[in-house]
This record gives sequence, C-alpha cells and structure tokens, in this order.
Amino acid sequence: MTADDLSYLTISEAAAGLRRKEFSPLELTKACLTRIKAIDDKLHSFITLTADRALKQAREAEKELHSGNDRGPLHGIPIALKDLYATKGIRTTCHSAVLEHWIPDHDATAVAKLQEAGTILLGKLGMHEFAFGGPSVDAPFPAVRNPWNTAHIPGGSSSGSGAALAAALCYGALGSDTGGSIRTPSSHCGIVGIKPTYGRVSRRGVVPLSWSLDHAGPMARCVEDCALLLQAIAGYDAKDPASANVVVPDFRAGLRDGIKGLRVGVPRAGWFDENKGTDPETEAVFDQALKTLLELGATIVEIDGTPFSLARKANQTILVCEAYAYHEKTFQSTPEKFGSSVRRRILEGAFLSAADYITAQRARSVLNDQIRANFARVDVFATPSAARPPEAFESIDPNEQNLRPNFTNPFNLTGLPAISVPCGFTPGNLPAGLQIVARPFEEATCFRVAYAYEQATEWRKQRPPL
Amino acid sequence: MAAEMTPEALSKMAARAGLKLAEDELQELLPGVNRALRQVAELRQLIEDGTEPASAFSALKVDKV
Repeated sequence: MTADDLSYLTISEAAAGLRRKEFSPLELTKACLTRIKAIDDKLHSFITLTADRALKQAREAEKELHSGNDRGPLHGIPIALKDLYATKGIRTTCHSAVLEHWIPDHDATAVAKLQEAGTILLGKLGMHEFAFGGPSVDAPFPAVRNPWNTAHIPGGSSSGSGAALAAALCYGALGSDTGGSIRTPSSHCGIVGIKPTYGRVSRRGVVPLSWSLDHAGPMARCVEDCALLLQAIAGYDAKDPASANVVVPDFRAGLRDGIKGLRVGVPRAGWFDENKGTDPETEAVFDQALKTLLELGATIVEIDGTPFSLARKANQTILVCEAYAYHEKTFQSTPEKFGSSVRRRILEGAFLSAADYITAQRARSVLNDQIRANFARVDVFATPSAARPPEAFESIDPNEQNLRPNFTNPFNLTGLPAISVPCGFTPGNLPAGLQIVARPFEEATCFRVAYAYEQATEWRKQRPPL
Repeated sequence: MAAEMTPEALSKMAARAGLKLAEDELQELLPGVNRALRQVAELRQLIEDGTEPASAFSALKVDKV
C-alpha cells in the first residue's frame, strides 16, 4: 500500500486494517502528520497541530488494541476538529483575534465522546471567523483553500474540515452548521457531511453563532464514516438546553437497504430560479443525480419550493440577531478584533428590533409547518447542496449569497437532518454535492439514501490534484 | 413595505447600542441593514394573529446540571 493509499483509506477500511494488524494507529497518525507537513502550506486547513499529543494517543491506542481493549471502530483513528469546539488545554480560536489565545479548561461534549471512542486528535481546523461571514482574509490565520483548486474557496464555515478531509490529512472531522456550514464545504470539497436533527448532538462547548440554529455534526470521506462518527457523538446531554432526549438508533443498520419505492420531493418551482437562480451547470449535475436515484428505484415528486425560499429570510434574521446578542460586549469594547467580513454581517443584528426578531421566529413556525407538511407526500427532499460551484478568491462578492437560492439554511430553520454527498463535478472540475433531507431524527434515512447513491457512482473514488 | 433606515437613524441607533462606528463603516452597513429590514417586512406577511414564535420556554425543563 502506498502512503497516499494509506491516507485515503476510509475509517471503516482503516478500522479493519488495524484489527488485521496490517498497520498500527501510530502508522496512521504518522501518515497524516507527514502529509500535513507536505501539503498543508498550500491549504492552511490546520490552525493548531497537536502532533506530540497525537503520537502519544496513537501509542496508547496501539497498546489498548493489542491488549484486547477495543473501544470500537473509531479506536486509533486520527481526526481533527473545527476550531470552535472547546478542547481542554488546547487553544481554541474560532479563527479570530478575539479568541486568539483562549485555552479552554473543558472539552466540548462531542470532543469528550470522540476521545472515549478512542480517536486520536491531530489538531484544530481553520474556519470562517466565528463560523460566519466569509473566508477570513484579515484574521490572524490565513484563509483555507480548496484542495481541488487552491485559487478557489473550500466553502464554509467548516472550511478546514472540508479541505483537510479532501486532501486526506485526517480520516474524520467535526464541523458545525448554522446555515449550511457543514454541507457547503462538504459539497465544495467533494466529501460527505451531515447536519443532524436539531438536538441530536450536544452543542455544549461549541462556541455559539446562533443558539436556535446551531448544529454540531460530522464530516468524512464517505457516508458510512459519517454514520460511524455521528454514532459516537449523538445522544442526550443535560448540559445542552436544546439537547433532545430521544433514542439514538444504529445509524448503519439500514445502510444497505436500498431506496426502492422511496419518494423524493424536489422543491424546484419557486426556489431553484430565485433571483439569479441556480448555476445551470450545477443544476445539470443535480438532475443527473436525480436520474441515478430513479434508476435505483426512487420516484421523483416535484413540490412547491416557495416556503423553502422564504426560509432563508427568517434564518438570516434570527442568525444576525442571536449572533449580535452573543458578541455584543466584544463589539462595544474591542470591535477592531473582528475581521471585516464577520464584523459587517454580525453588526446588522444591532439594528434590528426585538419585534423584528420575534417576527422571524413567528415566521419560522409558519414555514416549519409548511415545509414539514410535504412529508405527507414524500419521504425525503433532494436539492443541490450549493447553488453554484466554489468561487475563486479573487471574485468573491459578499452580496452574491443573497442573489442565489440558499439550499441549506431552510433545514437549520426547521431543524431537519440533511446530508451532502458528492454528486459530480462542474466543467471547471470543481465538486458538487447532492443534499438529502429527511424527517426529524431520521438521520438513518439520510444515510441510506446517500449510501445508495454513493455506491451507485464513482465520485467518492476521485482525489484532488495535489 | 419597510421604512428605509437613513444614515442619521443608523448613527443614532449605533450610539444608543454603545457602538463606536466610523461614518464610512455606517455607510457600508446601511444597504445590509435595509435589506434585512425588507426581509422582515416580507416575513411579517406570512404571520397570522395566532402564530406563536418557534422558540419556546418549558417550565418542565429542570434537569440542567
């Protein structure tokens, strides 16, 4: 096996190899660290590398596995974390000068759960500052670049998570998603990411952007790996007020059950052509993905996209109000510490009234009912994960995002589980994603549909030209 | 239709919120704030009298530790 092949193993493959003693956790960890050293100067996906700690954890995992103390499929697997997950004793910056030197005294619940599962922490990953705005060009750390073409953005805000996985610098990662921040970089980097149902994964220890829209979730190179990671981090946490006390199923149990008879709702009319509309090449890739779902036995049902389109407006209003409320003191005391992009976006919240915020929360009730009513006719929704390919850094237009449909944020507003799986490339050889959305707490359905699609196509086997 | 925010109104609101923003920054913010206000006006059209906000308080939630 070449070094590249070792790095590009899926978690399932690596876990099997570890148990067959084909390689050790130490070898997996060293392979990642060597690759990070060789490649990450071009990508800037890591803010903080915890190499010594990772090597120590790898040796411990090796001993435990040898002695028969097997903690499960993530034991001995090197992973990395978006730099808004609190990590005890390890700097947690949110990619911002505001928290540049913050060293938490606790681990986020999801981080603690991954440690219990035996993972090895390689380090902390770059992101959009405070998970908002855009690529952080004036933050203390460089903006993350897309492994498929470093002149282009990797999408955000979990940009380091997307880039590091696509470049095989780690085997799994955590991101967070308030309006699409797991699914957009997953789409733009050609990997898989799931935003679970609101309340499925604890947000304790995850620096907030918007309390009522924030979701924590996993990202990986394939659907099964995402299911493995979600299995480890899901579950009730009394320390998170939004945590849902619901049973966590075996997310892999129905993975191979196929999608014959599945009803796929496509909310095209009134949404896909909003303002400047969906990029035609992106929509063509999406339509090709729908054909594959049809071939696999699904039926396609066109549904009204109007409430999905309106949901963006409620999402944005709630987000800026809650984000400003969280950051208000810092804006009053040391506003210069924020980068220009996040500063401009969050400050909008200072000029909206309490009545405006409540209006958006009332509209959220209406839109939630309207969107969920579709589940009487369909089992899942399908959309492109992003309305266009990742832009080049030199042509970023901050206003552009309001001129295209936003396919991700309606599902933060509604809290529905949503996964992005690679579905091809646009003519510029930049990846595109297919988004599948299911009923509340039916992440297993997202995984089943995404897995069926993934296995029917070859996209997961592509590697970026690094 | 939402009332458009003027630069003067924005400046007064910023001061009331304890924000020290330069004139050019206020000018930069103005289009985004007005877009946000127009969005809220659109959302207001969706709401009927009895619609409650999505966020909810639960008196039963006592298990926070």
